Amino acid sequence: MEHYDILIIGAGAAGIAAAKAAYQAGSRSILLVDRKAEPGGVLLQCMHHGFGNGMNGPDYVKKLLAEFPVEISCHMNTSVLSVTNTREAFLSGPEIGRKTVHFHQLILAAGCLEIPFGALPIAGTRPTGIYSAGQLQELMNLHAFLPEGPVVILGSGDLGLIMAKHILDAGIPIAALVEQKSSCGGMARNQRFLVNAEIPLRFNSTIAEVYGHPQLECVRLSDGSVIPCRTLLIAAGMRPDRTLLHRLGQPEWLHLCGNCSKVHPMVEAVVQEGKQVGYAAAAALNKTIEKR
Amino acid sequence: MIQCDVAIIGGGILGCFAARNLMRWNISALLIDGANDVCTGITRANTAIVYAGYDNKPGSLKAEMTVRANQNFDVLCRELAVPFSRCGSLMVSFGPEGDRALAKKLKRGIQNGVNGLQLLSGGAARELEPMLSADVTSALYAPTTGTVNPWHLGIAAYENALQNGATPLLGTAVTNIRWDERGYIIETNAQSVRCKMVFNCAGQNSDQIHQLLFPASVRLQLDGADFLVLDKHAQKPRHIIFQESEDGKGITAVPCTEGNLLLDSPARPMGVPYATTQEGIAFIRRTVADILPDVDMSQVIRSFGAVRPNPYTVDERSIHDFCIEEPVPSFISLIGIKTPGLTCADELGKYLAQKAAVYLNVSAKANFDPCRQVSSSADDEIICQCEQVSRGEIMDAIHRGAKTVEAVKRRVGTGMGRCQGSRCSHQIEKFLEECRNGTL
Repeated sequence: MEHYDILIIGAGAAGIAAAKAAYQAGSRSILLVDRKAEPGGVLLQCMHHGFGNGMNGPDYVKKLLAEFPVEISCHMNTSVLSVTNTREAFLSGPEIGRKTVHFHQLILAAGCLEIPFGALPIAGTRPTGIYSAGQLQELMNLHAFLPEGPVVILGSGDLGLIMAKHILDAGIPIAALVEQKSSCGGMARNQRFLVNAEIPLRFNSTIAEVYGHPQLECVRLSDGSVIPCRTLLIAAGMRPDRTLLHRLGQPEWLHLCGNCSKVHPMVEAVVQEGKQVGYAAAAALNKTIEKR
Repeated sequence: MIQCDVAIIGGGILGCFAARNLMRWNISALLIDGANDVCTGITRANTAIVYAGYDNKPGSLKAEMTVRANQNFDVLCRELAVPFSRCGSLMVSFGPEGDRALAKKLKRGIQNGVNGLQLLSGGAARELEPMLSADVTSALYAPTTGTVNPWHLGIAAYENALQNGATPLLGTAVTNIRWDERGYIIETNAQSVRCKMVFNCAGQNSDQIHQLLFPASVRLQLDGADFLVLDKHAQKPRHIIFQESEDGKGITAVPCTEGNLLLDSPARPMGVPYATTQEGIAFIRRTVADILPDVDMSQVIRSFGAVRPNPYTVDERSIHDFCIEEPVPSFISLIGIKTPGLTCADELGKYLAQKAAVYLNVSAKANFDPCRQVSSSADDEIICQCEQVSRGEIMDAIHRGAKTVEAVKRRVGTGMGRCQGSRCSHQIEKFLEECRNGTL
């Protein structure tokens, strides 16, 4: 069985930062895995200029990967099936087959999951045309997909606002941006485009029911108003993805960074957290070596 | 014009098991469904329970079939290679009236021949099932109750039927049925079918199909129910939990074979078919806290609606037993089959097949193989991360007949996890497209 001193699950901004930091701190036995074909995580699908000094996601990833140490082993296209209390990880991917890897320190940089439509108390049919915001971002930015308008967006956090601007820029009308609070949830800079945009903002509102089968036809808001639409975008928020930690408890060899630690609004904080965790993992390793 | 001995109208679980059981005999069978896949209707949305049989009227066909079917379920699921969990059930009551009702059900169950039934005190019930509320005063424990995935089971029966020589005719809706001295002519939106016998297993349309040829004997009134599905890692009970209630308005909690907790609302009027209602979802959320206070409702990942057919006589009296209408020996309709339809699907299929064997005067098929052939198709490329389903399994599902993302989901479970398909649906669409274009 292969052994690595540090296993890093997730090669997004957090995982890349953690890998570089652990290397800088002297670790030379590091494995970085990611289920995607290329490192970068969710940044790869972010085409808005919201990273570093006005860079888009892919350019920011290039910056993060500059001078990435070749000694850090990387397995891309690799899923982690499970992690055990005995410090084993079961990996699976077309390039490596099925492999068990033993590690000393584990850094989880697995990102977050969106709250799906199904988790919301929205009644009605289950038609086509309903997407989560991240899902549509990937479809539009990486697969040249255009949703059918009019679009209703549920949630005015950063991702909801970013997607609203994307959709408008693509010439697709937005019938409503529905927000349960009394004002937009996202950062000021993401709200700027709203000034010139023709988007009906529905605050203190939520979606009670969807209609249409097999395709979406309209939604009914909590105040009873009905909005015809062909696409419903769910930008209801995200939760850290801790699925792999399900049976682990809180072992001292486990470190979390990035969106699986907590959902961060800014990538700089993610990178910072990744660095700290990378150093911490290397330090924990050194302490153990010293003890021996 | 397609010719066959028996045409089965309706490819839900009843039609699929009819087809499977017909293949035990030297009979040619055609399974017709209007959708482009089997099990897309009532089969797709129900409580997934294999009942013990204590709740049926003694002496009824339901009572007799359920106990026999329940006993046979491990064998059935082994043959069809479908997971089955005989987890047992607790029907819980809150107070003396409920306790008395459970005592009555216990007597009924013993009369029906159900094994292992016990009436437990609240304390004993909580020992068996620690998640139960402290307010539970007694519980009827039925160790033989179980759960199976209804569409996995239906699709498995379908594949076993095809393996043994049944012919599918999907994407074909029946528009009319005529008969002449040689038998029946079934007209559809595509080809016509000539056959000697018809089995009407058309689910929510079964009354209308029957009335194409025969006067209305049974009418269907459809009602609905709402379901909530929780994430696999959410804490769940070990047993199926029924809430005893006088007016039948209790909820049900089922720890499914996949690991998810399924919560079922009581029956309510059907609005839009398969749509959920605000009231139903709210009812479940309110009520589950009374029975299983530690269920974490923030772990809900999906909701869906069910359609249930309720059979009534023409003068509007509710029919409580299975409706098997045989206006002539060559035409049999299963009308409004509801609970315990899933449990008894194979038994009903056997019943129909035996009728066919007699009417057509044929012998048993020597090489009928009751075991569904499954190949291990998993490979190392994980496509559905949440449920860890590989590319190989998805391609296998497509080769077995899945034509849509939904159909793949029904066969291998993609998109049923925490992200509800937001990460894998696109890739699966691509595989389907490439298979259609022949580029894979």
